[in-house]
Amino acid sequence: MNVPTVLVVDDERPLCEFVRRNLEVRGFHVLTASNGLEALAVFSSEKVDLVILDVMMPHLDGLETTRRIRQFSTVPIIILTALGEETDKVRAFDLGADDYLTKPFGIGELLGRVKAVLRRARWSESVTSDERIVRGGIVIDLSRHEVQVSGSPIELTPTEFNLLVYLCRHTGKVLPHRAVLQHVWGPEYGDEVEYLRVYIGRLRQKIEVDANNPRYLLTERGIGYRFSE
Amino acid sequence: MIRRWFSIHRDLSVQLLALYLLLIVPFLISLLVFDNLLGQRIRADVRATDLALARAIAQETNLSISRSLLAVESMARYPGVIEADTGEMEALFSVILNTRADVNLVYRLDAAGIMVYHYPTGPGSTVGTDFSFREYYQRALEASGPLVSEGRISPTTNQPVATALMPLRSAEGTFIGLVATNIKLESLSDTLAQISAEHRPDENFEVVIVDSSAHIIAHPDPDFLLLEAGSLLPNVYQPALAGKVDSEILDSPASQERLYTYAPITSAGWGVVVSRPTSAAFATQITVHNITLIVVATFMGIGFFFWIALSRRIITPIEQLASASRAIGDQETIKAEDRERLNRLSQRPDQVGHLIRSILRMEKSIEARINEQAILLESSTTMVSSLDSQVVLNRILEQVQKLLGVEMCAIVALDEKGGVFRARASRGLSKRYAEQFAIQPSEPQSATMRAIHSREPIQISDTETDPTFTALRPRSRAEGYRSLLAVPLNTQHAPPSVLLVYRPDPHVFTGNETRQLVTFANHAAMAIENAALFSRSDMRLQEQTRRLEALVQSLVEGLILGNLNGRVVYANRRVIELASLPPEDLTATPVERVLNRIIAKSTDPEQARKQVDAALKSKGQTAEIPITFLGRAKYLRLQAFDVTDARGISIGQGIILYDITADRELDRMKSSLISTVSHELRTPLAAIKGYASTLLADDVEWDKDSEREFLTVISSEADRLSSLVNNLLDLSRIEAGSLQLSLIECPVREMVTQAAHNAPLSAGNKFRVELESGLPVLYADPPRLETVLRNLIQNAVKYAGTEADIQVNVSHKDGYFVFRVLDNGPGIPIEESSRVFDSFYRLDNGLRRITSGAGLGLAICQGLVRAHGGEIWIEPQEAGTCLAFSIPAKYGENEPDAEEAEA
Repeated sequence: MNVPTVLVVDDERPLCEFVRRNLEVRGFHVLTASNGLEALAVFSSEKVDLVILDVMMPHLDGLETTRRIRQFSTVPIIILTALGEETDKVRAFDLGADDYLTKPFGIGELLGRVKAVLRRARWSESVTSDERIVRGGIVIDLSRHEVQVSGSPIELTPTEFNLLVYLCRHTGKVLPHRAVLQHVWGPEYGDEVEYLRVYIGRLRQKIEVDANNPRYLLTERGIGYRFSE
Repeated sequence: MIRRWFSIHRDLSVQLLALYLLLIVPFLISLLVFDNLLGQRIRADVRATDLALARAIAQETNLSISRSLLAVESMARYPGVIEADTGEMEALFSVILNTRADVNLVYRLDAAGIMVYHYPTGPGSTVGTDFSFREYYQRALEASGPLVSEGRISPTTNQPVATALMPLRSAEGTFIGLVATNIKLESLSDTLAQISAEHRPDENFEVVIVDSSAHIIAHPDPDFLLLEAGSLLPNVYQPALAGKVDSEILDSPASQERLYTYAPITSAGWGVVVSRPTSAAFATQITVHNITLIVVATFMGIGFFFWIALSRRIITPIEQLASASRAIGDQETIKAEDRERLNRLSQRPDQVGHLIRSILRMEKSIEARINEQAILLESSTTMVSSLDSQVVLNRILEQVQKLLGVEMCAIVALDEKGGVFRARASRGLSKRYAEQFAIQPSEPQSATMRAIHSREPIQISDTETDPTFTALRPRSRAEGYRSLLAVPLNTQHAPPSVLLVYRPDPHVFTGNETRQLVTFANHAAMAIENAALFSRSDMRLQEQTRRLEALVQSLVEGLILGNLNGRVVYANRRVIELASLPPEDLTATPVERVLNRIIAKSTDPEQARKQVDAALKSKGQTAEIPITFLGRAKYLRLQAFDVTDARGISIGQGIILYDITADRELDRMKSSLISTVSHELRTPLAAIKGYASTLLADDVEWDKDSEREFLTVISSEADRLSSLVNNLLDLSRIEAGSLQLSLIECPVREMVTQAAHNAPLSAGNKFRVELESGLPVLYADPPRLETVLRNLIQNAVKYAGTEADIQVNVSHKDGYFVFRVLDNGPGIPIEESSRVFDSFYRLDNGLRRITSGAGLGLAICQGLVRAHGGEIWIEPQEAGTCLAFSIPAKYGENEPDAEEAEA
């Protein structure tokens, strides 16, 4: 695997610098931008493996930038923000962010998240078996990274894809939150139940006929989730 | 009818009858008892008398016979007699005959019953005649003692006699004859006649002696002698002959009721029967009885007569009167015949006539009163039928004319403005009168004023002679009245008024006229009061309604009142605006339609519908509806409440629509503040934490320069943090009003330059500072003034961009320094310009994401400028933004007065 390229977007110069310096020193290729518009410009011209986005920025804020990137790319996105509220996190996830860091954070935390997100992305890409998982009307083509529901293809982010694959592979089993988080997001995770809630919700929107009355992705209240064929 | 007749409580005649009977019946009963007792007593007396008489007669007869018997007994002892010596017998017999008047013959029979001798010898001697056939001879054969024969006609004397005889016996006891004397029955009868005569002859008193063979041997009428007793008497002689004594009332053979009393004559075995007709015997008793009956009959008769008289003369008229007065009371017409009878009765001179006359008079007076009342009532009705004061007054006068038949009348009332009594309305009087009539309340002579003060009617019976009227005489002459009556109208809520009635002739108003007018005046006063109160209450009500209407209309909140049928009863202006309905369409429109029109403006009508329905159902719940109104976002809070009347009964539903846009804005601003402050504080913290953690990381070895660079960043970010905290503190001090300034002399240009440097400006910004020439010395608190300038320059950079031209001008006017920060950016929309100084307000609509700042900048600037005694404002600009603020040239010379500064 080549040196991964990370795009760091923050209007606060010191913070941007801090991330860049630390990532570069650890062997990442780092691009920077000071607002969303700049970021989109860089993103369209360069191959980027990971985006680290601040939320509050002039001209185009992080959330809007995420939304726009998601229109054409499934690149992993980590959101940095001073807003620590759960609703803000949920909003970020809803728009397609893969992970979330609340300011202030230490370099260790950041590096952990960066690695985990990259690993997830790599892992989903690296599944190259010819395996096809068929569960009811859902057909998952692991090699081509494609999912079809009732014959029509749907777009999933790497994390969504990984989550769906993991759930499908354990069809009928009740999977506790922690187990799902550690398997899909990585061993650093375990308490981020809200991530799960958001992702399950988004998956339901994409694969269920009626997201309010799910057929496949069932909630086991207080425990976790279960995939039902 | 029958019931009524017998009902003692309801009929006076029955009562009187009963009372009369109650008095008279005991009297009559005692009378009858007395009569009865008296009768018994009289009867007993009569019987006793008769009995005594019978006994006396029996005794008398007995005596007479006993003497004869003694005589014969004693003669029987004479030897002459025994031996039948005629000579001796003659001597003896003559003596006896001479001494005894009742004896008419003494004789001697021999043993064979042959007459031996009799004295007087006389002609027709029966000597030698055999008398042995006689019953007494037979009896004498057996007897040893004297005995009495039955009565018979003596052949010797040819007279009715009874014989007393003594059988003669020899010493051996052989019957040798008998000696006898004939007792004249007539002599007995004479005694009886005498006794009978002693009683009144008309009493038909009868005394009869019956011998043992039941022949009458004594009777006052000698014709009856020796007749059979049965021919004269009922069978009362047998008990007498049997020795009984009694009296009986029996019918005689001649069919006459008689009282028969009998007693035995023991010596002869005869009986006495005394009888008299009961009518005679009980005459006294019968008289008494008759008197009693007469008395009873008289009382009954008198009573009946009295009762009839009472009934006819008193009770019947009273009854008629009663029905007539009932008819009068019930205001029914009395029948013609009844009326005629009453009229007839009324001519009686007695009390009943008097009573009827007075009741008829009463009827007339009641009729008159009722008439009067009817007229008054009609007047009142007419008067009260209007609530317009002037109409009421005119109607009063109209009615006065009708009531009293007068031409001229007027109502005078206190004109409260002028304090003078003026004519409010008049009839039959000239216009001049109506216009010029004016009386000062202080005028003592005026009839009007006297009526007002005394609250009594005042009359002037002749204006030409009345001394109090002298001054007003010209007026009365002009108007043509000679007498007047002033009656006060007792009003409380209307000005004091007087009703004036004029007559063209001298006239003494009678008590009746006055009374009638006073009563009328009371009614009139009520009508006036009514009208006055009505107009007052009407005005008040209207005013109150207008006030309430204005209040409700001016409410910022929308108010809808719906009735129970869900239709709009009232909706204020706000609702009309919100629903965009013409006001005239609103009343009686279904409330639902109004709400639908408001909901239709909602950004999410479906959700709004649900919330509104829930709020309408449960009273505690409210619905929040975000709407777009006149192109702006608004939040409405809808709350429904029950409208109840005074008794708590629901009469509809009220709905209030609060405009909570401002609250929402504040909420949004507050949450924005939190996120902003959070962001602003976290940003330097993030840098500090980031670099610190970088330095602490073990996996990387940084060179010295990098470490130093990182530490520098940590330090400057810490400064930034502290400055931010200071700003927040300043702001809270400003808002609490506790900011302390220390004013010193400030170099203007240096301060502006320093601020621009600290802002900081971007490299792309063109920055210029222009100072007016001849500026005085500026006294200010340098760090605060620097903060103001820095914030304004920062804002210019933020909003106008890093390439913008930024200029600061400082001038001096009217004792104030005026600082202007201009840029060539997009400018501030005019509608936002008044709010940009609010704490945490930031321009929205896309700009929000461009700016990062706590939204405190302008608020802090305003606070600091005002603390200096100056003002901050936005100057309208064709392009770009111009923020200006003033600072007093020398602090303390101009009092910090926001309004003045603004002007």
